[in-house]
Amino acid sequence: MKVEEESPRIDVETAVLSMTEDQVGESDAKSASTVFEVSQLNVYYGDFCALRDVNLDVTQSEVTAFIGPSGCGKSTFLRCFNRMNDLIETARVEGQVRYHGVDLYQSEVDAVEVRRRIGMVFQKPNPFPKSIYDNIAFGPRIAGAKKSELDDIVERSLQRAALWDEVRDRLSDPAYGLSGGQQQRLCIARAIAVEPDVVLMDEPCSALDPIATARIEELIAELKTDYTIVIVTHNMQQAARISDRTAFFSVQVTDAGRRTGELVELGATEHIFTNPDDPRTEAYITGRVG
Amino acid sequence: MSNTEETRTEFHQLMDEVRGDLVRMSGLVTEGISTVTQALLGNDIGLADQISSGDDEIDLLSVEAEEKCVRMLALQQPVAVDLRTILTDLRMISEIERSGDLVANIAKGIGRLQGVELDPRLRGLLDRMSEQALRLTSRAMDSYLDRDAGLASALSDLDDRLDELHNDFIETVFSSRNDRLITTQQAVQLAVIGRFYERIGDHAVNVGERVQYLVNGELPEHKGAQRARARREQGDVS
Repeated sequence: MKVEEESPRIDVETAVLSMTEDQVGESDAKSASTVFEVSQLNVYYGDFCALRDVNLDVTQSEVTAFIGPSGCGKSTFLRCFNRMNDLIETARVEGQVRYHGVDLYQSEVDAVEVRRRIGMVFQKPNPFPKSIYDNIAFGPRIAGAKKSELDDIVERSLQRAALWDEVRDRLSDPAYGLSGGQQQRLCIARAIAVEPDVVLMDEPCSALDPIATARIEELIAELKTDYTIVIVTHNMQQAARISDRTAFFSVQVTDAGRRTGELVELGATEHIFTNPDDPRTEAYITGRVG
Repeated sequence: MSNTEETRTEFHQLMDEVRGDLVRMSGLVTEGISTVTQALLGNDIGLADQISSGDDEIDLLSVEAEEKCVRMLALQQPVAVDLRTILTDLRMISEIERSGDLVANIAKGIGRLQGVELDPRLRGLLDRMSEQALRLTSRAMDSYLDRDAGLASALSDLDDRLDELHNDFIETVFSSRNDRLITTQQAVQLAVIGRFYERIGDHAVNVGERVQYLVNGELPEHKGAQRARARREQGDVS
């Protein structure tokens, strides 16, 4: 029996660091600030094409929002950025998602390391059934943080997520005792505790009331100085309020009734919401297409 | 996209209502220009008095249209072409309402000219200024209704013609005064009336600029603003 040699694994962080040292000086300003370059991306579930031919860049320290009708593939696309689609058995990704120049879908790339650097916050707050403290300390512990460092990491992460003042006296209480908005900020604190580069957010406010939503939006505006944020939202006004750039995805429905998503337009948010280039974007955001 | 079902119909109906209000306002202004000129040339004080009631109607329509715009901004969070339309509507309400005021001002001036027999040259120029002001007002509304940026930008050329007529008119007023055909007070009154026609043209040009914004999404660059911006960029804020 032939034993195949194991492929060498690429450490994304090392790749990024080496690129920063060796290549940034040579590359132009645009590529230095480009976190993701997506080219000719197709995503399939079995033989069904859910997303077709997406080309898009994500820029560092910006908030990029994805909007579009249900079924347009925006959440599917978001999951491509940290290989969450790997966890769906039938999902298949074609094309390239380059992260600081490294193709995330090379077989050698470690998906776990990818997800550490590219964190995610989901639609519904999903704290672990543990204390507030342990929710935040969970990731750093696995990453090898020393016990003496944990207190500092927990405090810093909770402060960064604007939750510290509300929970500092009850860190050992169960996370489930927090309100929905607090739980979501806890999840954001948990995501940033492992010092990611990018935070992906999949409709992070859809389960929250307007005040909790406003707090998360304020938090996103603060976080973007340190992190690149990509957010999927059904709330167009939210995209308009918080994002620097907006991408509009649409749906093509085949004769057989199958829906394939496509990127229609990506542009500065102000441009998209005042004078979009594509009539399909205008029709969607003005409610002339259901 | 295959699904073309329209949503937010109530909102879009309200936008249509405002468009209708603007059409009525503009129609009252054009009708007013024609009537006030008839009253001026016919020295018809009774007709001039009727014109101020037309202005009340324009004022009412402008208040109602503005209230609808405020409601839409507050409640509907308009974006893209809807946002540009409502912003354009708000500016147009002011421009057209102001034109209505100018028509009423001309009507008031007729009373102060009572008994003056106007020179045929002055009558001819007033008639042509009136025609040009009317044409500008109605073309401005056409450009809005047809979303015609080309026509909207052409309004400033049409206005140049009105400005030339206005200059001719002022010169003729002065020569009539020099020939002692009219008194100084009447000359001033006529010059002011000429200025009112000329200003109606300027408001139509302003409407055209807003229509260009509506169609292209680009705000008109004003020369003064360009100069101030250049000064600001050079750090000269004095």
